[in-house]
Amino acid sequence: MAEVNLKHVVKIYPHSGKKKKSEHRTGNLKVTDQGVVAVEDFNLDIKDREFIVLVGPSGCGKSTTLRMVAGLEEISEGEILIDGKVVNDVAPKDRDIAMVFQSYALYPHMTVRDNIAFPLKLKKVPKDEIDRKVNEAAEILGITEYLDRKPKALSGGQRQRVAIGRAIVREPKVLLMDEPLSNLDAKLRNQMRAEIIKLRQRIDTTFMYVTHDQTEAMTLGDRIVIMKDGVVQQIGTPQEVFDDPANLFVAGFIGVPQMNFFDAKLVKEENGYIVSLGGVTIPVDEAKSKKLAENGVESKDITLGVRPEHIALMGEGKEMLHGTVEVGEMMGSSVHLHVTSLGQDVIIIAQTIDFKGTHMESFHTGQEIAYTFGGNVMHIFDKETGNSLTR
Amino acid sequence: MNTKNTLTAERRRKNILSVVLAAICIIYVLPVLTVVINSFKQNTYVKIETFALPTAESSAGFQNFITGMTFGNYPFWKSVAYSALITIVSTVLILLCTSMAAWYIARVNSKFCKIVYYLCVFSMVVPFQMVMYTLSKTADTLKLNTPWTIPIVYLGFGAGLAIFMFVGFVKSIPLEIEEAASIDGCGPIRTFFSVVFPMLRPTMISVGILEIMWVWNDYLLPYLVLDINEYRTIPIHIQYLKGSYGTVDLGATMALILLSIIPVIIFYLSCQKYIIKGVAAGAVKG
Ligand SMILES: Nc1ncnc2c1ncn2[C@@H]1O[C@H](COP(=O)(O)OP(=O)(O)OP(=O)(O)O)[C@@H](O)[C@H]1O
Ligand SMILES: [Mg+2]
Repeated sequence: MAEVNLKHVVKIYPHSGKKKKSEHRTGNLKVTDQGVVAVEDFNLDIKDREFIVLVGPSGCGKSTTLRMVAGLEEISEGEILIDGKVVNDVAPKDRDIAMVFQSYALYPHMTVRDNIAFPLKLKKVPKDEIDRKVNEAAEILGITEYLDRKPKALSGGQRQRVAIGRAIVREPKVLLMDEPLSNLDAKLRNQMRAEIIKLRQRIDTTFMYVTHDQTEAMTLGDRIVIMKDGVVQQIGTPQEVFDDPANLFVAGFIGVPQMNFFDAKLVKEENGYIVSLGGVTIPVDEAKSKKLAENGVESKDITLGVRPEHIALMGEGKEMLHGTVEVGEMMGSSVHLHVTSLGQDVIIIAQTIDFKGTHMESFHTGQEIAYTFGGNVMHIFDKETGNSLTR
Repeated sequence: MNTKNTLTAERRRKNILSVVLAAICIIYVLPVLTVVINSFKQNTYVKIETFALPTAESSAGFQNFITGMTFGNYPFWKSVAYSALITIVSTVLILLCTSMAAWYIARVNSKFCKIVYYLCVFSMVVPFQMVMYTLSKTADTLKLNTPWTIPIVYLGFGAGLAIFMFVGFVKSIPLEIEEAASIDGCGPIRTFFSVVFPMLRPTMISVGILEIMWVWNDYLLPYLVLDINEYRTIPIHIQYLKGSYGTVDLGATMALILLSIIPVIIFYLSCQKYIIKGVAAGAVKG
């Protein structure tokens, strides 16, 4: 129900006196005189009712960013606006937001009903309206039968539903979720993920969702913010970040199995570009060539990225790359082949059934195979900076 | 065969252990038992057959209780009332103030809090006898020498242990619950009373029991601080049983001691399961 704007938001955790040694532990985070920079110059305009996912490896500042929006963490620099109003100095309770914590954070001494009703009671909502809203939320989340239990008597998934219930009853402007599913087992996680998608269609609110799981990010987000070491790497729709990753980090982070990277050479020719790799040349497709030309890229060493699912094991009349199968992981409809080729490990996804329904040949360790890929699926990154050259 | 042998051995070991523990238990309850037995015996028999059960000859029935309660010119019910007043007010005061203080100390990470915390812990190791003279002087000057104001002195003495126990427990409560409360619309005071205070219940009960037993049974502090002609608590009243005539009515003394420990025992038994919970909750994180 509201827009959220983050303008040049910075979070610096001050050095805690004698703990100068801990600078070492914080790895790649920038350290200044003032302290450890956990979030660096974060800019994001979230539209009304948008579902934004913050994703990145552990310690990259996702939670910190979310907690700054919630008001649980002070903002060191920059501004956060909710509905056009600067909220830097507004207390959490006055921001009209709700939050779901990874550890659920239910009130252990209250029944589920009281837990869900608590924010409404504090808002002095009339009793019958509270009852109606609590029942409605319980209905949506399928926890009606547990309303009179204490949280202790619930399973993890049920507790998480209660936490979500407590967040949605008050119809907040922004719903913040910090890794809400990471305490659940894989099956329940998939189920709850689907329920969050459903929930999102039923309630009108802006979502900010933190996860370290790229699958969750891809399936839930309208837009994804990928972070690393406190720095935003790329902001875009799931399709955009998948098709057109801004740099090597994003390319490697989004997509399972991970994208393959090769050392290759980009050569500029009269009418386009070609990539040469392991003695094989592959022409870059027209759209990408155009981008390269626009960016004024000359012939140079590049890092070439190709997704495992884009590698083909047959190519009519093409020059092929060669490799030896190390391991074949059977996934059912496909096999993930770990192939040694060009002196490195290459992952290839091979279908087990072709489009006519006939079973493909099986793979065994030590088998020699040939593979190739098209110019349209190549991702071209600058070897020094790691940034994409086709953006 | 083999397992059967070890099982028998195991059982024998357990039996021996039971006997030993039972003996230890008897040693522990023996003083209490002696009080109970003797409170029903005539004064002369208390001295000569201290450990014998009351017989038809030696039994005094409930005469000791009546003597004890009607003894002297200070009404017994008054000392009961004062004891109850001081105990209840002190305990409530201690629980309320120290739980709030402990929450602040545990959650606010500042030098000031650390200093206060260590002062409190340090106060636990200072024996009362070391400060009692200056304390009673100070209490007199500050007019803390009435049953209505002496709870403040008890607050000071009880705070160390209480804060120590509460801080340990608060630290084991996940911070996120309080953060959730602040997002749900609580200010700090509301967060404390609606969310933190109820969660502290197990520690409340164990601290409460410790403080109640201490204040109810305390003899020295009220004796030094209160005006004895005006205000007597039960322990002081009991000691006056012997003072006046030079002789001691031991039977009556025993009877009053028995009366004074009954409330504590009832209270302890009814809250017993929380005591263990509370102590464990502070010790084991999570
Ligand atoms: N109170 C603090 N003082 C100093 N540094 C902190 C503090 N809290 C967090 N940090 C640092 O800030 C960085 C970002 O932390 P944050 O909790 O936002 O990571 P995250 O992306 O949520 O990671 P995770 O996926 O593990 O939850 C971390 O490197 C962490 O060490
Ligand atoms: Mg986090």
